[in-house]
Amino acid sequence: MTERRPLLELRSVEVRYGGVPAVRGLSLEVAPGELVGLIGPNGAGKSTTLHAIMGVVPVATGEILVDGASLLGRPPETVARSGVALVPEGRRVFADFSVEENLRLGLAARRNGGGIEALREAFDLFPALAESRRRPAGVLSGGQQQQLAIARALVAGPRLLLLDEPSLGLAPAVVDSVFETLDRVRERGVTVLLVEQRAQRTVALADRTYVLANGGLRATLTPADASDTRRLVAAYLA
Amino acid sequence: MRRLAPVLELAGPLLLIVAAGLLSTAVSRSTQIYVLHAIVAVAMVVAIYVFIGNSGVLSFGQISFVAVGAFAAGVMTVPLLLKGAILRDLFPILRDHELGNVESLLVAAGVGAVLAAVVGLPLMRLSGLAAGIATFAVLEITNNLLREWTAIGPGATTLSLVPQTTGPAQATIGATLVVLVAWAYQRSRFGRRLRATREDPAAAQAVGISVHRHRLGAFVLSGALCGFAGGLYVHMLGSISTGQVYLELTFLTLAMLVVGGMTSLWGAVVGALAVSGLDSFLAEAERGALPDGTRLVVVGAVMALVLVLRPSGITGGKELRL
Amino acid sequence: MPLAVVDAQTLVDSVALGAVYALMAVGIGLVFGVLRLVNFAYGQLVMAGAYTLAFTSHFHPAVSIAACFAVVIALSTAIDLAVFRPLRGQSPAVMLVTTFALAFLLQAVARIVDVRDGTIGEPVRVVGRLNRAVDVAGVNVRQVTILAIVLGVVMLGLLALLLGRTTIGLHMRAAAADFRTARLLGVRSDRVIGFAVFLSAVLAALVAVVLTVRRPLVTPAYGLQETIVVLVGVVVGGLDRLWTATLGGFAIGFATGLINGVLPTDKTIFLPTAVFTLVILVLLLRPGGLFAPRGAATVERV
Repeated sequence: MTERRPLLELRSVEVRYGGVPAVRGLSLEVAPGELVGLIGPNGAGKSTTLHAIMGVVPVATGEILVDGASLLGRPPETVARSGVALVPEGRRVFADFSVEENLRLGLAARRNGGGIEALREAFDLFPALAESRRRPAGVLSGGQQQQLAIARALVAGPRLLLLDEPSLGLAPAVVDSVFETLDRVRERGVTVLLVEQRAQRTVALADRTYVLANGGLRATLTPADASDTRRLVAAYLA
Repeated sequence: MRRLAPVLELAGPLLLIVAAGLLSTAVSRSTQIYVLHAIVAVAMVVAIYVFIGNSGVLSFGQISFVAVGAFAAGVMTVPLLLKGAILRDLFPILRDHELGNVESLLVAAGVGAVLAAVVGLPLMRLSGLAAGIATFAVLEITNNLLREWTAIGPGATTLSLVPQTTGPAQATIGATLVVLVAWAYQRSRFGRRLRATREDPAAAQAVGISVHRHRLGAFVLSGALCGFAGGLYVHMLGSISTGQVYLELTFLTLAMLVVGGMTSLWGAVVGALAVSGLDSFLAEAERGALPDGTRLVVVGAVMALVLVLRPSGITGGKELRL
Repeated sequence: MPLAVVDAQTLVDSVALGAVYALMAVGIGLVFGVLRLVNFAYGQLVMAGAYTLAFTSHFHPAVSIAACFAVVIALSTAIDLAVFRPLRGQSPAVMLVTTFALAFLLQAVARIVDVRDGTIGEPVRVVGRLNRAVDVAGVNVRQVTILAIVLGVVMLGLLALLLGRTTIGLHMRAAAADFRTARLLGVRSDRVIGFAVFLSAVLAALVAVVLTVRRPLVTPAYGLQETIVVLVGVVVGGLDRLWTATLGGFAIGFATGLINGVLPTDKTIFLPTAVFTLVILVLLLRPGGLFAPRGAATVERV
């Protein structure tokens, strides 16, 4: 870990749905340039954590800081425009819009110019998207739609990229390509917080992986733990 | 205390109605008509509440049932001798019979229930925006038919010479009956189940409650009560035209329900009396210094304010509690 | 109905009425797209514009029309700020009741403002000369009819360009299709809503100008009947998509023009019953609207 200020910091964050806590007293940090994983069983509060960061759900107590500045009380679009991009669960591409229009939507959160350049880079990164730039996103395969969702987040030029279960519902071969994509994204120096169900692959890929259960932090794992199945299972079930 | 709750739930509304009834006997004749209006408004708004409040589904159409009730009760009580002269196009069965006051109110309730059943059978599958628009269509259709079809009523002309039997006694008894039925319904198994579908339709359906059937039941009951209230209304006014039971009455009664609080009997009664009071005061003021239209501006503004600032109404949509 | 009964003049007039209603349908559809709100009070924007034209009829036409636009846009913005924004997130039914209340409120305001005797309005003279007829290929057509058709085509064309080619248009379409995701991508909700409200006000002002030429008697109920008819068209056409809503608006205007032009008045007394029965049937059987492609994903709404 570096001595620098963390890019993302959660301090004792609590989120409640109608009085029932979904995230309880969660604290975590992501340093600049890191790829951090967030795993845990269904209902552990992973997605809720991302939604709290984006300002989609209100935070009851605690603090969320990006680069030292609080995000609390800001609407999603303001969070997005401050350099935090989310690849939402289920991809959420605009099916009737063309691939290029989907990417241009990603530019909405871009703080400075260079949009055209960003689009060109995205097409370089994902040649499959370049080939079908004029086609409606709805006709793309699931894997390509996931690429599009990631590319759409990247063209915003985010400081911090949040991904909500990008491998969900994809065929195994396609999952491989998603994780390769994440590796390439990391190489570009983007800081990443990755929520996943595929624990082993996430632990292997990420610099650090937090295990969440019942809305709280259960364990922190390193890539060395990825091959230690017992430890993984223990962290999940403890 | 818990055993007291249902009693209070009924006693609060009834007390207000009786108080209004007594008030109507103690004031001048010109003021009395305002108080009677308010009591009949309670009957209408509670009748509407039986559906909207319990189901949580918006309806712009309940005034249709008030309208058919009013015209049914009116047409059937105009004296036979006069009816032959002024309503010559009526179906013979309507033209050649005359009913007494109470019978006409029962017929009004029956006609309201039948129309509500016919309309509700398909429409109760809708909810939200679609329900709002479809019930608005019902209001338009009813108005169009009443206005143009001279075989069932006076058409575009005003129906007059209806016996004015709704005085303080009939208004108070009528409104009390409506409140009693509404209270009994919401405490019944059917009412409680429908309210469960209002809170969470999916969960209610999961435990085997038929949303469609329960909504339809409330809609028909509401239709009957609306028709009955329409009967009270026409017997209060002594005359009626289609314009009086159309958009403006829909607006006013919805305003009453919204301002009081859509989800409780107490809210319906309080809203009806409060807005009626405001409305009467402004109507009187319009005859004096205030320009024509002030009444609707104020009522509309109050309704919009409540919707924006406190959508649960002044009672918070809760029954009366100590 | 034999087609021979429909003369060219009726046909052209019907197309013009369809164009006006299509513009109103777009105005209602744009706001519905981003707010999920059926604006019952849309006709009162037209009414406000019509009154502005009436009250400024002694000024130069350009001034009068500019005033009409200014008033309608200001009123629309005020409604957005005071009512629509606080209501955001409420159920569609609550929003519908609120705009219903708003319609009554504004109509009653007009009764107060209308210092004549409440029913008789004075003709708007500004644009009255547009009522003069010109000869087009042997058919006598009023200038305003041509204006309505041209305006309809031009405005729909401009709007298509705006929505299809510009960034704000893309953002509006995205907000209409999936507001939550659009916001997560950084689309500013206040801006797209504000812009949709602004565009719908511009259309209402245009409609006010055209309508007051056709029907110069301005009353508090001005625009109410048209709004109800357009709402019918919009629902029957399909509210979920802007183009089906627009087509629905045009169709109902065109049909209204034809029916009123061809059938004698005593044959159309039950027309509202037929029309509103159609509305109910569409809501029950084809909730997406008559023009919506069968089985199409109901994702895009603008």
